[in-house]
Amino acid sequence: MKKAIFITGLLFSIIGIAFAQTGVKKKRPLPYEFGRVVINNYSEASNIAPVVFDHWLHRAKFTCRLCHVDIGFAMTAGASDIKARDNINGYYCGTCHNGTRMFGDTSAFSSCKEESGSMNATCDRCHSLGKNVTRKYDFREFVKGWPKERLGNGVDWEKAEEQELIMPYDYIEGVSIKRAKLVVQDDFKIVSKVKGMPNIIFSHEKHTVWNGCELCHPEIFVGIKKGLTQYSMVSIYEGKFCGVCHNNVAFPLLDCQRCHLQEVK
Amino acid sequence: MKNIARLFFIGFLLFNFWGRGFIVGGSLNTVYAQEQGDWKQEYAEICAKTQNAMELSVAELKDRIERADKLQERINKLEGPLAETEKKVFTKRLKMCRELYSFALEYKEHKE
Amino acid sequence: MVHIKKILSVFIIALTVPVLASAADYSESLQYLLPPAEYFGQVVLDNYSHKAGVSPVTFDHWLHRAKFTCRLCHIDIGFAMKEEMTEISAADNVNGYYCGSCHDGKRVFDGREIFDSCAEDYTENEGKRCARCHSDAESGARKYKYKTFSEKLTKLPGNLIDWEKAESEGKIKVTDFLEGVSYKREPLKAQDDFSIKTKTWTADVIFSHRKHTVWNGCELCHPLIFPSTKKGTTQYSMKQIMKGEYCGACHMSVAFSVWLCDKCHITPVKQ
Repeated sequence: MKKAIFITGLLFSIIGIAFAQTGVKKKRPLPYEFGRVVINNYSEASNIAPVVFDHWLHRAKFTCRLCHVDIGFAMTAGASDIKARDNINGYYCGTCHNGTRMFGDTSAFSSCKEESGSMNATCDRCHSLGKNVTRKYDFREFVKGWPKERLGNGVDWEKAEEQELIMPYDYIEGVSIKRAKLVVQDDFKIVSKVKGMPNIIFSHEKHTVWNGCELCHPEIFVGIKKGLTQYSMVSIYEGKFCGVCHNNVAFPLLDCQRCHLQEVK
Repeated sequence: MKNIARLFFIGFLLFNFWGRGFIVGGSLNTVYAQEQGDWKQEYAEICAKTQNAMELSVAELKDRIERADKLQERINKLEGPLAETEKKVFTKRLKMCRELYSFALEYKEHKE
Repeated sequence: MVHIKKILSVFIIALTVPVLASAADYSESLQYLLPPAEYFGQVVLDNYSHKAGVSPVTFDHWLHRAKFTCRLCHIDIGFAMKEEMTEISAADNVNGYYCGSCHDGKRVFDGREIFDSCAEDYTENEGKRCARCHSDAESGARKYKYKTFSEKLTKLPGNLIDWEKAESEGKIKVTDFLEGVSYKREPLKAQDDFSIKTKTWTADVIFSHRKHTVWNGCELCHPLIFPSTKKGTTQYSMKQIMKGEYCGACHMSVAFSVWLCDKCHITPVKQ
């Protein structure tokens, strides 16, 4: 009897292991879902729906640098450890979402009015996981007529900026530091190790115009000299190096030819 | 007449010490407040050159890194109702800027 | 205990006999392993249909397979590779995503307008149009019949369509680019063919990158189905393939079936 139970158990566990996650194609996020981040450091513990943050709206209005360097958001969900108190004190989301800061002719709605209190419709605008909340801005309407691209959000953000359909803010009074003008580093080539794959042409200019320097260096790219840090596509797919952004906010890694540009003769 | 003069004198003395106490105390408060607010100004000054960090000299980078480390110690000692939030936020912001300078410094030293 | 062991071993041996016996000519036994050819590659989608009071969608791959590359639907449009994983809603179709990328009532293909999919409100009259997808293949609501369609195409064992031959014989013409849906990219050079060593008595597999990339591009398989970039890093077995992982993502249900062993296990075993 014991043996039978043991063997059955062993069989079940083997079957369980067999259900591996690689080798299976997972669902690709829809254009309006791409870049979605769920933040749940304290929400659930406070009996509130976790926050669902869709990057695309802020992406269209602000540079990456403004939020991730000037305001100080971390690059992974949950790593900023944002509390309602922080927002009320005027940091993180509360830097802009304080009910008074104006962008053009609209003011950013106030986030987290009281630390503990009853939830209202304004809270639902962010704390919406699992709820059927109608957002103020509809993705399809918002990007109507914008230059399209495949994968990711389906929007060519670069072209959209060239055509002045978006004019991202890069400076907020009282938050951003008055910095010296950005000095752009050169583009360079990264040799691809897989035979036949074109080399990568990395453009510093395209990256620094939205990110500045400190967003990537040294936290994401530690090597001071080209070639010192060796990494492979495997670590990139895992969300390291280029994958920090190109896994879920910038154009996705599926779009190989956007980076692998230089044919190897 | 003499009494009025005495009254005036006492009043003057009182005002001086009492009133000035306020003023002095007030100035001290202002100084204290300035000292408190000064660290934000210091942060803004230290981190103003991140966009052209590669153009700075080795000496200047070392100086900024040192200032950043000292500022971090001040941030760690912050007090007040906003202290917890400000410590968290500014530690992160300062770290990004300090590490970038360190990165640029390493690059320059390695080149030499 | 001994009795059980004996019985079990006899039973297992007995099972292997028919398999070994028909190893040389197994097309007859394939009828037990494969569904009828017209159902091969059929996908039933019922994320929301039932709840909305309509029949689930039965999507038969063969018609689209004959007109478009796998890449076009699964990469450019973004359909997932597993039944019901895409979670297509009527709203998505109406908004021009998924089926709605082509099925919008306006796009002209092959000289004809492609019928509109889904609607925000539908009348009874439109029911006929809805039934073109929200029905089962036998209901008679379909425009194209498998039998007529596949009559002139070369078949594989198991009566499956040989798509490779169909294309090389010019009997089907496959589109890889649709205006407004696809985006032009510099084609990546196809990687070399290589052999995969098997761990059992079966012949080694010769994998042809060229044959796969001509329909799939690179992104369909890499990195989600085949994560590593260096040959040999990912180890997998037939068991996993039969579960729909790795090669099984396509070769269990749309591409030629894994039961056609000698299509992949090609090199003769060294004596």
